[in-house]
Amino acid sequence: MSREFWSYCLSQLEQELPPQQFNTWIKTLHAEDGDGGESPALRLIAPNRFVQQWVRERYMRRIVELGAAFFGVEPACELALPAAGAARPAAALRPATVSAPREAAVAQTETPAVSMASDVAKLPPRRAEPERAVSSEAAAYDKTRLNRDFTFNNLVTGRANDLARAAAMQVSQNPGSSYNPLFVYGGVGLGKTHLIHAIGNEIFRRNPRAVIRYVHAEDYYADVVRAYQQKSFDVFKRYYRSLDLLLIDDIQFFNNKNRTQEEFFHAFNALTEAKKQIIITCDTYPKDVQGLEDRLISRFDWGLTVQIEPPELEMRVAILKKKAEADRIDLSDDVAFLIAKNLRSNVRELEGALKKVVAYVRFHGKEITLELAKEALKDLLNAHNRQLTTEHIQKTVADYYKIKVADMHSKKRTRVIARPRQVAMFLAKDLTPLSLPAIGEAFGGRDHTTVLHACRTIAELRLGDPQLNHDLHVLTQVLRG
Amino acid sequence: MKQLVLDITKDAPPRFDNFIVGANAALVAALRERADTLADHLLLWGAHGCGRSHLLEATTAAARDGGRPAIAIDAREAGACLPEDEGLLLAIDNVGALSETAQIALFNSFNRAGSLGQTLLLSADRPPLGLPLREDLRTRIGQCLVFEVLPLADDERASILHGMAERRGLRLDTDVVAYLLRHGRRDMPSLLAVMDALDASSLEQKRPITLPLLRELMQRGLDI
Repeated sequence: MSREFWSYCLSQLEQELPPQQFNTWIKTLHAEDGDGGESPALRLIAPNRFVQQWVRERYMRRIVELGAAFFGVEPACELALPAAGAARPAAALRPATVSAPREAAVAQTETPAVSMASDVAKLPPRRAEPERAVSSEAAAYDKTRLNRDFTFNNLVTGRANDLARAAAMQVSQNPGSSYNPLFVYGGVGLGKTHLIHAIGNEIFRRNPRAVIRYVHAEDYYADVVRAYQQKSFDVFKRYYRSLDLLLIDDIQFFNNKNRTQEEFFHAFNALTEAKKQIIITCDTYPKDVQGLEDRLISRFDWGLTVQIEPPELEMRVAILKKKAEADRIDLSDDVAFLIAKNLRSNVRELEGALKKVVAYVRFHGKEITLELAKEALKDLLNAHNRQLTTEHIQKTVADYYKIKVADMHSKKRTRVIARPRQVAMFLAKDLTPLSLPAIGEAFGGRDHTTVLHACRTIAELRLGDPQLNHDLHVLTQVLRG
Repeated sequence: MKQLVLDITKDAPPRFDNFIVGANAALVAALRERADTLADHLLLWGAHGCGRSHLLEATTAAARDGGRPAIAIDAREAGACLPEDEGLLLAIDNVGALSETAQIALFNSFNRAGSLGQTLLLSADRPPLGLPLREDLRTRIGQCLVFEVLPLADDERASILHGMAERRGLRLDTDVVAYLLRHGRRDMPSLLAVMDALDASSLEQKRPITLPLLRELMQRGLDI
């Protein structure tokens, strides 16, 4: 029975998916009879763990839907790996839903032995009809190219973006009639894309029948090129003029692309005349966009132009807390403050820093603390490539011990001068790839054995001398930036 | 008569098992994870010769072994388009060297990665804040999980040299390695260049690699 279903499933998916996707992911699966007791069951074998994860996240829901259509109730679908996984008794399998990839991923890290071998999708039997409606809605949503993760709910608001957010809310409540076009501009990584996806998602939520398309300016350009190559401008025009909402990101990429600008100009006119909403983002104010035709720029002024500014400290802290909450990470205020204080320019780097802290504590199996966060971000906060020179090291060490830089080269052997000189040699060996003779040369033409002696002396002394050890830590940190 | 040497290298291809991990255990764990899961994009950075290319090659090879499509591209060879294969692990070495058009291609890859299920794996010679790239690309790189490839200690460098000698079937005196670490530049590219010179000379002269051989080469102008 399940093999018949799998043939049906294959024929359906072959029609629904592009051939590349079908051949790469679906055709490589192999069906076995599942152990579902009374109810229908399907057991699929993926050739490797990557295909297993991929299919689980992208196609499993559809396969279950097809099963529901075929059997009348949803079958229990299992996606396993060959060999060891095949011998595993069904009772030991961990049930998991296929609809929550994040949960599946988290579960996978927690119980790798079980979830790597197989995964079961057991959903309570339901009637197939409502599922089909959901499926067509899901297909419509896929065509919008929107990102579900960007909504108004998880958009942190502050002085930097409250006007833009208010305008965006207004547009999502009355698309086509409030501000058209809505032109959102601001520096990179401040949340323009998040804001316009949020509008798209809100409009789709209110009206799932709305024909929505998010497109990056570069992809719009690629569509124009494709239309050229395939002589399919009619299809291209018809598609873009059939939209209820067009969200176009990073319009500055239209710079000097004349045919693209012309096509967009006509699409813009057709859509605004039909009272369809257009939302545009750009990195600068419309009049400052380089290489854009005046007739386009003047049209951008028809609606409302709003700016997103860089977030202030409190907002950056709030963004981090929100992000941590979404990823179910316990992030204390002091750690959020540490990251927000050091990364000022844009939101993306905040996120990068948070990822780094999380990866660090997970790897070391610890909780996030201020100390660990500092340790994790050590290299990230260091903006410059450290091309350290012996001169820089000598100066830093001389300043630290309050001696003259000239003493680094001198022949004096008194302790107050000799010890810092040895410290500087030690650091030069540690922090640069210079050869020992080259280091000796830089310290007043000394022999490499002197450098070697200095390095050994300092390495031994630091073990029993906390003050020296502390000095070395501080100096290393200062030198590394 | 001088023995002519065929120009063939016998070094093993870059893999995780021939990478000396040193202080980079967390990085290697993160890379292994990316070989077979849809994890966040990752940037690794470090000075020339720290093993960046080795790690990118090792990760893409591990991904291919595990069934995930993967490719490593040198930034200088990247053009206006980057692969759009689904689920691809796309590694780009030395992103600082991307041309202007290639920067847009990588920018597009960032934007499309979500829908294509691609994971980007990038390397650079400095952290994202200092990369000389378009700001919209640079910040996207800053959003990656960022790791510094930490330099090796001298004894780890020595064990790389001995490992390499073993793979090439050479007998390498410990004195030679100690001498190189004491007298020469201690970054891996410099050390490996000296090793290549020693290897070639040892074959030509049919002599084992010893200190006298190294000294002889240095007298003939070899820079260490």
